[in-house]
Amino acid sequence: MSYVKSLRCKECHTDYALGPLTVCDNDFGPLEVAYDYEAMKGKVTRASIEAGPRSLWRYKDLLPIEGEPKAGFNSGFTPLIKADRLAAELGVKELYIKDDSANYPSFSYKDRVVSVALTKAIEFGFDTVGCASTGNLAHSVAAHAAAAGLRAFVMIPDDLEEGKVVGSLVFGPRMVKIKGNYDDVNRLCSQIADKYNWAIVNVNLRPYYTEGAKTHGFEIAEQMGWRLPQHTVSPVAGGTILPKIYKAYKEFITLGLVEDNSPKIYGAQADGCNPVVKALREGQELFHPQKPNTIAKSIAIGNPADGYYVIQDIKESGGWGESASDQEILDAVKLLARTEGIFTEPAGGTTLACTIKLIQSGKIPRDESICVCITGNGLKTVEVMQGQFATSPAINAKMSEFNELVSQLEETHTTPSPRPTPTA
Amino acid sequence: MPKITNKSWLTFEGGRQNEPCLWKMATRFPGVMFDIRQASVQKDIGIMAVLFEGEEDEVKAAQEYLKEQGVRVDPVEGGSNVAG
Repeated sequence: MSYVKSLRCKECHTDYALGPLTVCDNDFGPLEVAYDYEAMKGKVTRASIEAGPRSLWRYKDLLPIEGEPKAGFNSGFTPLIKADRLAAELGVKELYIKDDSANYPSFSYKDRVVSVALTKAIEFGFDTVGCASTGNLAHSVAAHAAAAGLRAFVMIPDDLEEGKVVGSLVFGPRMVKIKGNYDDVNRLCSQIADKYNWAIVNVNLRPYYTEGAKTHGFEIAEQMGWRLPQHTVSPVAGGTILPKIYKAYKEFITLGLVEDNSPKIYGAQADGCNPVVKALREGQELFHPQKPNTIAKSIAIGNPADGYYVIQDIKESGGWGESASDQEILDAVKLLARTEGIFTEPAGGTTLACTIKLIQSGKIPRDESICVCITGNGLKTVEVMQGQFATSPAINAKMSEFNELVSQLEETHTTPSPRPTPTA
Repeated sequence: MPKITNKSWLTFEGGRQNEPCLWKMATRFPGVMFDIRQASVQKDIGIMAVLFEGEEDEVKAAQEYLKEQGVRVDPVEGGSNVAG
């Protein structure tokens, strides 16, 4: 049974019947899925969720689908890692990494939103799906569409990392490279959605698509033992995931599944594309669109569709926003890899770099629980790490040369400290 | 030329929020009806949700005129143009 009531305007709260709609006719406010939480009480429980599949579909009752899932059967339920070595390095007590670099099948958080969007696309009878993408979404749409037997059009800026381009093309989508940045691509996709009867997942299926991002937050809560981190740091690109993590926390609180500990949400952006952080710093409700210039291309969105709501939710929760330079981002990628064995893309480096700055500035206390949301995999963007490491020349297969090299490597590399003993 | 309705976000920055850009557009393109559905203005930025209605080429020309005045015109996602 579905607990979905309607699509509801976030501004004027007008209700609409479910369909491939995205904005309110009255004020053009975005539509969001509304649920019957009263009907869920006593039925959607910790036990009912734990009895579900080890995928994002264990939260099916809190997602806007009518029947059974039709895509993304193995997506979600990614690791939540208690990052004790990184915590020791940063001088904080309790630190978690929610690691969507291990998401299936395309190694980013986008597998969550696409699983829900493609299920809805099939429910609505679409045979063609598409997206405007900074890379990860194209990768995910292409992979899920291939598995579901749907025709796919993926629209991307023409300067994307090769790993993301090839990683998408292998699934056989029709790829359209567009001269310009993501905002130019998105603008065109709005017009495409008007003209063609396609399901552009982050345009005309946006209300359903964004709901998939809640599962990132649901999993954090469940995997922490049905409690919420006091501080959650999320990247901000188009503004999908941060408000949905916050919505997920609020839904679990409403249903009595977790205690309300007033969780605070923080937004992370690159210095070269920080419209939301800039608005927060200036105390503004509205943000100025920017022209992105950063190595963190997957979050290089200068005019975020849901940026206004990111600002609202950060303020409501008592959180804050921070941005990081390209070098800080690269340093954070290396730090996460060196301490926890996780290779994230620059977007993840941005989130960690901003977390460090929020801790250092005292915005996040060192003695409270912190969760860093890692949303993408570094193997897709290896080119940005080139030149960051010294490599040794090749040696002949002789022990004498090996012995000499070992001595040199010992001088240039630090020996890692052992993993701290877990505390109760 | 067919009639259309068009939903757009207008962003006024760099002093444009203090100028009567829409009034100037209306005097130049009297055949284009516009309806402000939502607006938010701060000291250095203003955003409006505006419904335009008229003959397609006139609506496009009116929006081009706004862009020439320094107003950013973005389509409302997933439903900017509706054939009338």
